[in-house]
Amino acid sequence: MGKVPTSPPDAASQGVDAIISGFERLGYIADRSLATALYLVTQLRKPILVEGHAGLGKTEVAKVLAAFLGARLIRLQCYEGLDVSSAVYEWNYQKQLLAIKIEEGSDKTVEEKEKHIFSPEFLLERPLLQSILVEDASPVLLIDEIDRADEAFEAFLLELLSDYQITIPEMGTIHAKHVPYVVLTSNRSRELGDALKRRCLYQWIDYPSVEKEMKIVRTRLPHIEQELAQQVVGYVQSVRGLNLRKPPGIAETLDSAEALLALGTLRLDEEAIEQTLGCISKSVEDSARIKAAGGRPTR
Amino acid sequence: MIHLQEPPDQKARTIVEFCRFAREKGLSAGVQETLGALQAAMILGVNNTEDLKLGLRSTLCASKDEWDLFEECFQMFWSGAEFAPPSSRKARGKNARSAGMGSRDSAPLMPTGSSDHDSSGKDRALAVSGASAQERLTKADVSTLPHNDMAMLEQIALRLFKQMSRRLQRRRRIGTSRGQVDLRRTIRRSISRGGEPINLRYREKKLRPHRLVTLLDISGSMSPYSLFLVKFLYALQKHFQRADTFLFSTNLVEITNLLRAQRLPQALQALSQQPAGWSGGTNIGGSLREFNQHYTRKLRSSDTLFVILSDGWDTGEPSALATELGAVKRSVRKLIWLNPLLGLQDYQPITIGMSAALPHIDVFAPAHNLESLLALEKHL
Repeated sequence: MGKVPTSPPDAASQGVDAIISGFERLGYIADRSLATALYLVTQLRKPILVEGHAGLGKTEVAKVLAAFLGARLIRLQCYEGLDVSSAVYEWNYQKQLLAIKIEEGSDKTVEEKEKHIFSPEFLLERPLLQSILVEDASPVLLIDEIDRADEAFEAFLLELLSDYQITIPEMGTIHAKHVPYVVLTSNRSRELGDALKRRCLYQWIDYPSVEKEMKIVRTRLPHIEQELAQQVVGYVQSVRGLNLRKPPGIAETLDSAEALLALGTLRLDEEAIEQTLGCISKSVEDSARIKAAGGRPTR
Repeated sequence: MIHLQEPPDQKARTIVEFCRFAREKGLSAGVQETLGALQAAMILGVNNTEDLKLGLRSTLCASKDEWDLFEECFQMFWSGAEFAPPSSRKARGKNARSAGMGSRDSAPLMPTGSSDHDSSGKDRALAVSGASAQERLTKADVSTLPHNDMAMLEQIALRLFKQMSRRLQRRRRIGTSRGQVDLRRTIRRSISRGGEPINLRYREKKLRPHRLVTLLDISGSMSPYSLFLVKFLYALQKHFQRADTFLFSTNLVEITNLLRAQRLPQALQALSQQPAGWSGGTNIGGSLREFNQHYTRKLRSSDTLFVILSDGWDTGEPSALATELGAVKRSVRKLIWLNPLLGLQDYQPITIGMSAALPHIDVFAPAHNLESLLALEKHL
C-alpha cells in the first residue's frame, strides 16, 4: 500500500458531484452513494463489487464509468465452468502448427523453435490478460456476474486483483502497465468468498424510488409524455409489490415505456397493459399473478 | 504504510473507534477495512458527513445484510446512543433475512425424539428381525427407537454416512475417461517431430459432483425424524462442494453456511436458535414458493439434484404445492422426495399434499431408518 493520495475535502465533494453530473450526461442516473463509491474507486484504485437484483443497471455502471473516464471497457462475462483458456489467454494452435511446418527445413534448434511459437505473436489474449496489457491508460475491467463462476476461478481472480500480474508458464510473468479500474457485479446467487469481498468496495443497488425512476425514464426516453411516464413508473412500482417470482427492474420499466411509445399509446389503460405485459413479466406464473391483481395503474 | 498527517489524529481516532464500534455491532470491519476506511475518510474529508457516511459504507460493508446494518451503526455512533444488547445484535446481523420474513419465537432446543413413543415403540423396534445389533438398528424406524439405542445408532450412522460419501467420491474418479485432446501439450511435444502430432496428449474432463439442494421439513409431524435427518444432511453437505441446505415449516430458512462453518454439535446448537418454527405447522407450497422466488439461481437444470425430506402433511393449498413443485422440476435434473412415512407398512401416499406432488417426483423413497437413507446413494 503506497502513500494515499490526499486531496482537500472540497475537491472530493466536487469529484463526487462531477461523477453524478457526468453520469447523467451519459444517460445514467447515479445516486450519491454510488457516485461516492465510484469516486473512491478512482482514488483508491480498489475494485468495486456491485450487488443487486437483475435489471437495475449493475453492468451499466461499468460501461458508463468507462465512457466517463474515456477509458477502454474490457468485459468478462462469467458462467459456470469458466476456465483460464477463455478468461485469461489461449495459444493459437493452428498458427503454431503452421509455424512449425514452415520452420521444418530451417536449421533452428528445437529450443529456438519452441521459443518462437510460444511468443506473443501466437498468444490469443482473453479479457483478463487484455486488461493488463493495455498500453496507454487504465481500462475499466468489468467482471460480470462473478457469482456464476465457480470458487476455483474466484480464487484465481483474487490473485490477479491483488498483484495485477499474470503468469504464463511458457513466457513468464506479465505485470500490468496500468492498473485497471475493476467493477465486479453479482446477483447474489451464491455468497462470494470473504477474501474477495474484503478486497473490494461494496455497493448495493436497490429498486429505485418513484422520483429516481421517473428521472431515469425521462433521461433515457426524452420524447415520452410526462403523464405516460408517470403512469408507467407508478404501475411498475405497484407491480413490484406483488410478490412476484421476478419483480421487474428498471430495464423492464424502460422496455415497456419504449413499447408503449412504439405502439403510439397515450394513456396506460387496461388494453395497453395487456399488450405490454410481456415487457414486465417474464414467466407465466408472474403474468397470471399480475392479471389477478387487476393490473390497474395506481398513480 | 499509511501516512496520517491528514485528517488530524483526533479525527483518525474517531474513524478507528467507529470501525471498532461497527465490528461490535456485527460488521466485518477488520484491520484491513479500518485502513480502507481511513483512506476513504482522507479522500472524502471528515467534515462532509453525508459523503463520509456513504464512503465508509462502501468500504466497511461486504454484503446486503451489512449494508442494511450500517445505517443503524452510523446513526447510533454519531448520536452517542447505547449499544444494543449482544443477543439482539447478533440476531440482526446474521438473521436479518429470515427475521424479515416474519420471525417467530424459536423453540429452545431441537426435539430429540418424542418420549411418548418410547414405550410402544420399543417393541416395534425390537421386533425387527436381524442378527446383529447393527443390522437391527439400521432397519429400525428412527421415530420408534428408544433413547439408549439412539446414541448407538448415531455412531453407526455417522460412520456409514462417511463411508457413503467416500464411495461417492471414488466412484467419480474411476469413472473419469479420456477427454479432449490437449492441443497445448500436444504441440509442445511435437515440435521436435516437425509439428506432426504423433503422440496426442489428452486433457481429462473435469468431472464435478452434482449440485445438491435439500429442503428439510421440520414441522411438528416430522419432529421424531428431524434431528436425525439434520445429522444426515450435515454429513452429506460435508462432501458435496456445492450443496445448499434449507429448513422449512411455514417459512424457509437457509442453513447452508451454518452447517458448513461449524462442527456438528455447535451447528446443532446454532440451528436450534434459528427462527424456523421447529415443530410448527407445515406449508410446503408456500415454502417452495419462497424458494422459487429467492433461490432459483441456485438451480441448474443440467446437474442439480433437488431433495425434499418431508412427510407430505401440508396445511397449504395442494394446487399451490403442485405448481411450485412443477416449477422446481422444470429446472433440475432430478427431483427426489424422501418420506419417512413410506417406511410404514400400510402407508399410502394419499394425503392431499402428497398426491398433488407425486406427478412431479422422479424418485419417491422412504427415509425412516438408516438403511433407507443409505439407499439414497444410488441416486446421487
